[in-house]
Amino acid sequence: MSEHREFHYRLPQRIGGWRPGSHRGSSLGAGQEFVSHMRLYDRPDPRRLDLRASLRNIQQEWLVRVNRQQASIPVHAVVDVSASMGFGSRRRKLDVAAEFIEALGQSTFKVGDALGMLAFDSRERTDLFVPAMVSRGMGDTMAKLLRTCSGEAGDAAGLQDSIQHLAGRRGLVFLVSDFHWPLAGMNAALDSLVQSFVVPVVIWDAAEVEPPTHDGLAQLRDMESGTQRTLWMRPRMREKWRESANARRRELNQVFAARAMRPFYVIGHFDSEAMSQYFFEVAA
Amino acid sequence: MNISFDFAHPWVLLLLPLAVLPLLRRRRDTLPFSYAPWLPRDPLGQIAGWLWRILAAITIFSIVVALAGLGKPQTQVARVGRGAEILVLMDRSRSMDDHMLPSDWRKLDRSLLLHHLGRGQPKAKVARDLLAKFVVQRPDDRFALMFFSTKPLSVVAFTQHDEVVQAGIAAADIGRGLANTEVGRALLAAIAEFDRRAYSGSRIILLVCDGGAYLDEPTQQRILAGLARNRIALYWIYLRSYNSPTLDNTAPDGGNAPEIALHNFFQTLRTPYRAYQAEVPDDLAKAVADVGRQQNFPLDYLEQVPRQDFSRRFIAAAAICCLLLLLGRSLAMRSWT
Repeated sequence: MSEHREFHYRLPQRIGGWRPGSHRGSSLGAGQEFVSHMRLYDRPDPRRLDLRASLRNIQQEWLVRVNRQQASIPVHAVVDVSASMGFGSRRRKLDVAAEFIEALGQSTFKVGDALGMLAFDSRERTDLFVPAMVSRGMGDTMAKLLRTCSGEAGDAAGLQDSIQHLAGRRGLVFLVSDFHWPLAGMNAALDSLVQSFVVPVVIWDAAEVEPPTHDGLAQLRDMESGTQRTLWMRPRMREKWRESANARRRELNQVFAARAMRPFYVIGHFDSEAMSQYFFEVAA
Repeated sequence: MNISFDFAHPWVLLLLPLAVLPLLRRRRDTLPFSYAPWLPRDPLGQIAGWLWRILAAITIFSIVVALAGLGKPQTQVARVGRGAEILVLMDRSRSMDDHMLPSDWRKLDRSLLLHHLGRGQPKAKVARDLLAKFVVQRPDDRFALMFFSTKPLSVVAFTQHDEVVQAGIAAADIGRGLANTEVGRALLAAIAEFDRRAYSGSRIILLVCDGGAYLDEPTQQRILAGLARNRIALYWIYLRSYNSPTLDNTAPDGGNAPEIALHNFFQTLRTPYRAYQAEVPDDLAKAVADVGRQQNFPLDYLEQVPRQDFSRRFIAAAAICCLLLLLGRSLAMRSWT
């Protein structure tokens, strides 16, 4: 997909790690960001000799400029492939997720970050596991995997199961899901990601957020549990529908805000501009 | 009256479990949705959903029951009526198709009488109309209807259902009459109708005819004995036509006329006998009214109630349910867009 849809991302905090990249790192090395001067004996790198500073030095010592090196970070997408992600009025939510992964693949390759993928429904889907690597076509490969997969009912246990690979590691984690499961187990899952910078990407379909416009009898079946609900679609019901969608949004916001995260909502289709905007705001 | 049901084709009931099908959870008609707890609670929708299923179940149930042919079996019902058992014995001979005398015939010029004869109504029609009225006026009586000309023809057995009797009377209008008037055989057949019937009220044979017949000795004896055995009263409505003798003729040679001979024989009966001579329609009406006044006793009898089939009602119920289901289906949402 040659469409220009990558987004820019940067992290609010410095990142450790020796692999050169484009994020602000905490390690010293070849970079533009000046940290301090050191004695030549302490840091025997004559290329970085700062003559002006050395002359100014009272102790008549040779001083070397020490810079910070920009680091690359591993980026992981943790994708919910449960049955509810197969829902969509025009496109399946999984397709939207795949679209996002494509954009992510392009973006990470541009800045030299490794991209990996983890998937889960009620447990980790090892068949969809892709280790973090730097490769041009990685995003498209992952997207293809996602487009052809199908899952069962999902829950927070599955999320917890899959992200234990990332527990305690630093990096950028995109949590791609519709979060259509009880949020009770999510706190424990987020606990293990405390070292990473987590971006919850909430993928919803327009038909979920916005009730159907025409009146009538709607017999609905939960794609995961199979329970059936019959709704008599009418203005009052629409109101309640929007209300419950808003309530869910508030609930999610609250859960993530407690961990200084802000969910990124994708409704209907992925907008890379909005994603860039999101990172500008977060990292500012 | 006991409430019991039976089925014309009980094996069709094997299909009855099909009615449970709509109650099972099925995926066909539903729209998939990602997350049910998201949806608002809607009691009205819940009711509608259940109604939908129950209607579908009722539809299948009704169709199966209708196919099985649910019905009430044939029963006998004891009824109490007031009035008499009246057997109408009606002449269908050709002479009954003649016209009656106009009501003012006595004042007319004798020489022109033949000319005026065509003005009156046919005797059979007048008799039919009056009998029909008579039947209507006496709803409590049980009527039987028998036609005769050469041979007696039982049209309606004893029944209290007036429509049947009326239909029988109307049926006398069909076709033309035959030549002969065999009163003897007809009377014997009429008497036989009362045989083996429980005596439950006064019995009348209402003989409506316009001519007489000579009865031979054995026939006379049998009629005499039969009427006595079954305790039947005989009323003869004699429709006198032009040129027929009158019954009260006492002329010595008058006895030769068959009508007179018949009248004379009837007068020898041990059972009640009454003759009405009707020349004009008004006379006939008077005669019928007179008969109606005579007999009024309570009457017990058993009636056969034929098997009632309820299939139609069930089919109708199924059709209504189907209609409602179609209505519901037109209201149902099939897609998200």
